Amino acid sequence: MTTRTLISPARLSRPRGRILYWTVLFLVVAVFTLVFIGPLYWMVTSGLKDTEEFARIPPTLVPDAVHPGNYGEAWQVMELSQLLFNTLYYAFGALAFQLVLDVAAAYSLSKLRPVLGKAILGAMLVTLMIPATVLVVPQYLTVLDLPVFERNLLNTPWVIWLPSVTNAFNIFLLKRFFDSIPRELLDAAAIDGASPMRTLRSVVLPISRPILGVVSIFAVVGVWKDFLWPMLALPDPGKQTLNVGIYSLASGVPENWLLAALAMASLPTLILFLIFQRNIMSGLTAGGLKG
Amino acid sequence: MRSSGFSTPHRRRTAVTFVSALTLLSLAACGTSSSGDQDPAPGGSADAATPLDPKTKLTLTIDCMPPAAKKAELKQWKEDVATFNKTYPNITIDGRSTPGQCLEPPRFTAMLKAKSQPDVFYAYFTDLDQVLDNDGAADISAYVNEKTVPALADIDPDVMKVLKKDDKLYALPTSNYRMGLLINRGLFEKAGLDPDTPPSTWEEVREAADKIAGLGKGIAGFGEYSAGNTGGWHYTATVYGEGGEIVGPDGKAAFNDATGKRVAQNLYDMRWKDDSMGKTQLLKWGDLQKQMATDKLGMFLAAPDDITYMVQQLGADYANFGMGPMPGQKATLFGGNSYMIKKGISSDKIKAAVAWLDLKTLSPGKGQFAWSRTKADGLPVGLPQPAFFTGAAKEQDDKERADHATMPVENFRAFTDNPVDGKAEPPKAQEVYKVLDTVMSTLLTNKDADIDKLLDTAEQQVNQVLANQ
Amino acid sequence: MAPPTSTPTLTRRPAGTDDGAPRVKEPRQGAFARAVRRNLTAHAFLIGAVLCFGFFSWYPMVREVVLAFQKTENGVVSWAGWSNFVYVFNDPDFALAWRNTALFTLLALLLGFVVPFVIALVLNEFRHARGYLRLLVYLPVMLPPVASVLLFKYFYDPGHGLFNRLLELFGLPAQQWLQSSDTAMLSLVIASTWMNMGGACLIYLAALQTIPGELYEAAELDGAGLLRKIWHVTIPQTRLILSLLFLMQIIATMQVFTEPFLLTGGAGPEGSTTTVVHLIYQYAFNFNNYGAAAALGLVLLVVLAGFSAAYVRLNRAEQE
Repeated sequence: MTTRTLISPARLSRPRGRILYWTVLFLVVAVFTLVFIGPLYWMVTSGLKDTEEFARIPPTLVPDAVHPGNYGEAWQVMELSQLLFNTLYYAFGALAFQLVLDVAAAYSLSKLRPVLGKAILGAMLVTLMIPATVLVVPQYLTVLDLPVFERNLLNTPWVIWLPSVTNAFNIFLLKRFFDSIPRELLDAAAIDGASPMRTLRSVVLPISRPILGVVSIFAVVGVWKDFLWPMLALPDPGKQTLNVGIYSLASGVPENWLLAALAMASLPTLILFLIFQRNIMSGLTAGGLKG
Repeated sequence: MRSSGFSTPHRRRTAVTFVSALTLLSLAACGTSSSGDQDPAPGGSADAATPLDPKTKLTLTIDCMPPAAKKAELKQWKEDVATFNKTYPNITIDGRSTPGQCLEPPRFTAMLKAKSQPDVFYAYFTDLDQVLDNDGAADISAYVNEKTVPALADIDPDVMKVLKKDDKLYALPTSNYRMGLLINRGLFEKAGLDPDTPPSTWEEVREAADKIAGLGKGIAGFGEYSAGNTGGWHYTATVYGEGGEIVGPDGKAAFNDATGKRVAQNLYDMRWKDDSMGKTQLLKWGDLQKQMATDKLGMFLAAPDDITYMVQQLGADYANFGMGPMPGQKATLFGGNSYMIKKGISSDKIKAAVAWLDLKTLSPGKGQFAWSRTKADGLPVGLPQPAFFTGAAKEQDDKERADHATMPVENFRAFTDNPVDGKAEPPKAQEVYKVLDTVMSTLLTNKDADIDKLLDTAEQQVNQVLANQ
Repeated sequence: MAPPTSTPTLTRRPAGTDDGAPRVKEPRQGAFARAVRRNLTAHAFLIGAVLCFGFFSWYPMVREVVLAFQKTENGVVSWAGWSNFVYVFNDPDFALAWRNTALFTLLALLLGFVVPFVIALVLNEFRHARGYLRLLVYLPVMLPPVASVLLFKYFYDPGHGLFNRLLELFGLPAQQWLQSSDTAMLSLVIASTWMNMGGACLIYLAALQTIPGELYEAAELDGAGLLRKIWHVTIPQTRLILSLLFLMQIIATMQVFTEPFLLTGGAGPEGSTTTVVHLIYQYAFNFNNYGAAAALGLVLLVVLAGFSAAYVRLNRAEQE
């Protein structure tokens, strides 16, 4: 891509400009690597040190002796497999709920346009204005004793899945995308006698893949990163998420194990990110720009 | 501001949560198979004072049963149930266990709000107000007497007092603690101090802390909390030890006096003049335990079962720790845990609950006090906790504990031989602690802290909190 | 792949098609029945999400207001009038929490708003390694917050933390970081910026790429230097997105909870990191006073709504 930016290409092509450009580039790459990879490196290597070396002053850059056993110990003692499983279970459950319910809702609001649809969309968008933390207390009291059903949802996956559906931002993104699907496409399907459900499945969804990808990532990452809500709603240690579980066990394990645990807990999303980085980046900027 | 007696319940710090749960679990032992001294009065009178008819058929739900992971404790629980069923064959004890600690504040709050507590439920001493606010516990005054709980007269009246409100009894104790000075014996020896005589005044603490910090390598002499309201909690304990008050009888802040200032000044001096409290502050429950378990800390204020926590969770060794009384020894903060009985259950169920609790938690030589059994099952014996018996019951229990000790009990002698009067937490404890937390964090993080001004502000704020409805 | 993102949506209302406007008049019989059926289908698609919103968003919103005016005594719930608000306003930490929240927001704006913009400006000039740098900046966003926060807790440790080691290396005086009321808030903001700025960076970067190059050329013809080009071209051209992110940043930072909760235990040295949300948490989950928590929540809501309204008005004025 050769878009014209702040500094004119003519200047950059001069020898002085070139030297400056490469110096700055080199510096930025070095500093950024240090600032963003450095902490991760420290985390991974500290997890490999033994307790004595971890506490050593000044700290060692490369572990004198490598103790990969810390990872195994941390994995077991902190029951990371359980925490990891819980988190994945909640995240992908929330994803499924959002994909089904939010997509259906956005489709209905965009294409089926029921009576009161505008009002409902408005009421949904209003929740964007209300900070999540303000609602934490009444939400908590609600899940304790869900009205009508009279169920206590605490410590059940529902307490993560169902509230995750109330993601007005995702509905908004989806609706805007559906809005841009030409009417003719749907009409053609309708003339063929397709029900709205079939139209959604065989016409709308296939061309909505990019936005579905973005929404999915938001859904998974949202659950993955949440802290206050799962801390309150899933107090049972066997049902906690990675974030909360590690937090509550942090004071009970040696530091080097804790760092090993943190490194392991960081891995899944990092891998996810590296695989899907292109989708994530483009989705993020697209979503942001349109808002 | 309209005062309408809105009593703010004292929420519990996770701190004690963890500890007490562990204690209960680790100490829960089971009765010997001797049975039959229940002496139930025959005749099916519905009178609350009469013990339960042995033929009664019912199911009693109860929480805080040891989880499967705690094999020995669970085995003892089951044996206790079997013993209980010899007297009451038709009663089913339906125990419920939680994988982690028995009581976690958010879960407990939730349980009360949803009224989903079992018939018999576990609670901290300080939870009483909250439970009553939620109308959750039955008044069991009429059910508890010398017949149903033979050791009643020997239970520490201070303990019974905190389980009552307006002279009505709402709970029976399972464990209690008094705060003291926990020491790392290894570091004491290294610093040339005598671990058998822990410091008993703050001057001595300061001196010892200085020596231990002199060992270098990032070792701190004395550690203190200053976050998550636990700093305020310990400031309170320290002031109590020096004979001071946090909230006076007039219901107003009472710590802005010579005692309160002395306590603050001493902490300030240790932190900044001697530099014996380490550089990292804003610690809360769990941080000091970790430091001490890894031999980075010489002393801190704690309950005896903090040792259990360090041994079981952090891999430390019992022999490395000792305890002395609360420095100052005028009084010490005390607390503990209990079982309450759900409001609204039948009178027979309440009677069954009292009978079960008597066997499990209130009889010397039985239940959790069957120390020979505890030892045989490979669980620790010898911690000075629970300690709610007085008189003959105490003598009997102390002897059995010493006979079956699995850890060097002489390390706790300084603590057990110098009993300090227990004192309960101030009213609106958590809200007061929040204010005092700021005092602590200022003392420990600000070299230019102005103690007079600090306590003036805190006094004014505590008064505001106490007046605030 | 040709995603229809770029397809213009002018065909939204082709004449003659039944587009679902409720007021369509069709004399033919059965039209009403059809409309009913169409609506039923449409609502069937909506119902799941609407129920979720009902239970977990709308009902709690109403409940928040109700709670703020209620109190619970001995299990009896009664109306409390304004007493919860009186309680909140009388809390000695009320003013402090707002001051801290404002300070955090201000610092977070200075750092969390300016830094990503500058980074985006610089990255946009590079012809090489841009993908790599973009990846780096966004990396922390993908870490579990507990991991990032605890990492910073280690780095900040005044005794053996990495940051003081680094300062020492450059011969600079050691800092207290989180351990002093002077620097605790700043340290929080630095950590929080590191953790969260990736998203903003990428959005700025995308916005920068939409600026037509001719504008810079024109500015150069007028003899504008680098700073003037930024001031007169870059910023006006990205104004919309800048102001949007500015508001989102305010709203997000005013709700800060996790960072202080994990880094300084919430209150921090001398109470210097007590935020409004932390106070709400204290009320509800440490003092068991849900009324006060709800009352303070409402106050926060009103303040944030004020910002939102200001933003909407600003935006509208600008567009006219």
